[in-house]
Amino acid sequence: MVTAVSESRAALGAETNGSAAVAVQGLRKTYPDDVHAVKGIDFEVAGGEVFGLLGPNGAGKSTTIGMLTTTIRPTAGTASLAGFDVVTAPLAARAVSSVVFQDPVVDRSLTGRRNLEIHASLWRVASSEIGPRIDEIARAIGVDELLERPVASYSGGQRRRLEIARALISRPRVLFLDEPTVGLDPRIRAELLDVIAGLRARFEMTILVTTHYLDEADRLCDRVAVMHFGEIVACDSPAALRGGFGAEVLELRIEGDGRGALGRLQADGLADEYAFAIGSTLTVPTRERGANELLLKVESYGIRTAAVTTRPPTLDDVYLRLTGGRLAAGAHE
Amino acid sequence: MSAVTQELPVARPAVRMNPWGPLATLARRRFQLTAGRPRELLVPLVTPILFALVIAPALKSALHTSSSYEAFVATGTIGLLIPLNTMFSGLSVIVDREAGAQRELLSAPIPRPLLPLGNLVVAVATTAFQIAVLLGVAEARRIHLHLTASGLLWFAAAGLLFTVGMYGLAEVLAGRVPKAEEYIARVPAVAIVPWFLAGSLFSIKAMPVGLTWITRFLPLTHGLALVRYGLLDDPTALHDIWGMHSTTGMAALSLLVVAVFSMLMTAAAVRVFSHTAVK
Repeated sequence: MVTAVSESRAALGAETNGSAAVAVQGLRKTYPDDVHAVKGIDFEVAGGEVFGLLGPNGAGKSTTIGMLTTTIRPTAGTASLAGFDVVTAPLAARAVSSVVFQDPVVDRSLTGRRNLEIHASLWRVASSEIGPRIDEIARAIGVDELLERPVASYSGGQRRRLEIARALISRPRVLFLDEPTVGLDPRIRAELLDVIAGLRARFEMTILVTTHYLDEADRLCDRVAVMHFGEIVACDSPAALRGGFGAEVLELRIEGDGRGALGRLQADGLADEYAFAIGSTLTVPTRERGANELLLKVESYGIRTAAVTTRPPTLDDVYLRLTGGRLAAGAHE
Repeated sequence: MSAVTQELPVARPAVRMNPWGPLATLARRRFQLTAGRPRELLVPLVTPILFALVIAPALKSALHTSSSYEAFVATGTIGLLIPLNTMFSGLSVIVDREAGAQRELLSAPIPRPLLPLGNLVVAVATTAFQIAVLLGVAEARRIHLHLTASGLLWFAAAGLLFTVGMYGLAEVLAGRVPKAEEYIARVPAVAIVPWFLAGSLFSIKAMPVGLTWITRFLPLTHGLALVRYGLLDDPTALHDIWGMHSTTGMAALSLLVVAVFSMLMTAAAVRVFSHTAVK
């Protein structure tokens, strides 16, 4: 097949010696009617790094993953996986990567083992290696006792584990996890996070995970990029992103307009640019002045507080400050 | 959690991979999914067998036609079986799309045209099996065919090409139609109406002249004429279409029509799949 051969040649030509496992430059996707899903984003993910794409529904995370996995054509810009350009060498880019999709993709009427065999075969794993590799990965992911059953009989958590095992069978250099725990109950979600956290230790790979569960990103990721309306509005390690807030924040639920109260605090020099208001809730870094001074000042404005909390800053604070909206838990992009 | 700056070894996926290699995997997957639902194999058989074994003998006795009329209808039902089975096979494309499996296949390092071709291989295999069953039960009902080596070749070529073309049509329809319900609603128009017009139960010359002309443009008319020529050594349908003296020439022309239909539909199927699967 001429296309495949020429693409393979292009793949070799496109290879780079850079250390970035995922390199994205000026990546843009515009749908008809001028819908700008992704507006020219740039980021790099180093080999072995776990990188998170955070954002609410419609932020452009899934479109970005779609372009990186060659199921969506970029309008402009470039992206490469392990040095293979996703547009000029899509076969090679797909060969070095694997995806755990947001929704199940396994064939429910086939057994778990047969699903893994099909995936291994499509990713050109040598037939002599398929059996041992399935056994090894199934053991590591905890699905070894389920393999001979039809997938239709699996629970949601078991099916998710199988999906992860499936994605690992080809030993991908880059693994995409698209909202891996969405729709799962808290216990299964916690178990699955353990599995995902263990992936890097067991299997040498780069992981790009999209999520709107910020605790998940905080736990799993070396760095995160926050996406908002198709743009990356921040990109750093979770600790660095939280660092801007200092050691502690004061969270106040007031009776009345949060933005108005925030404006007065800022005018009096008691709140800096890291403070933000969502509805009637104010979040203000305490800095060196302490929570009591802030609280007294708020009360001196005649504003009544309904609840007061001091706590260390979280990635939620970073996200809410940057995007000005809460993440819809459990919602799909 | 510490930052990782591990140097990445240069990726070198195999360059000389056989691009057709995954076709067998895709076909095996489709076959296993199909075999897991035996009704997909059996349902398309029911109506043709009913026509061949019950309705044709009944018509023969009611209309006092010759005994060869049973064979005429039995072979004519192949023209119903192929469209029905290929249209049912096309449903699997929508199932893959709705169940999510298509996303997995699209992210695989294989040339994407192989995805519809893998489905095609299984559609051809199951259709061949069903035709064999149909002819087997017809024989068992003492409906006799006139089989020769060259006749079988004409029949096999026509059956294969027509099946490929019809499956291409099914893929195109599945690519264009968003839901299974809408797809199923179109099946009668694509699979059944042409069968009544293409000379399956009676000669196309028995219809009004205008309709006779229209049916000459249906690939099914040519396919059925070739099937009857191949299995019954009866060139009447070919004469009805072409009106020429050379039987072989007429058969070759009809085969050309079916081949062009087959190629156009396969190309359209691959094109539609590539355009609709990747946004």
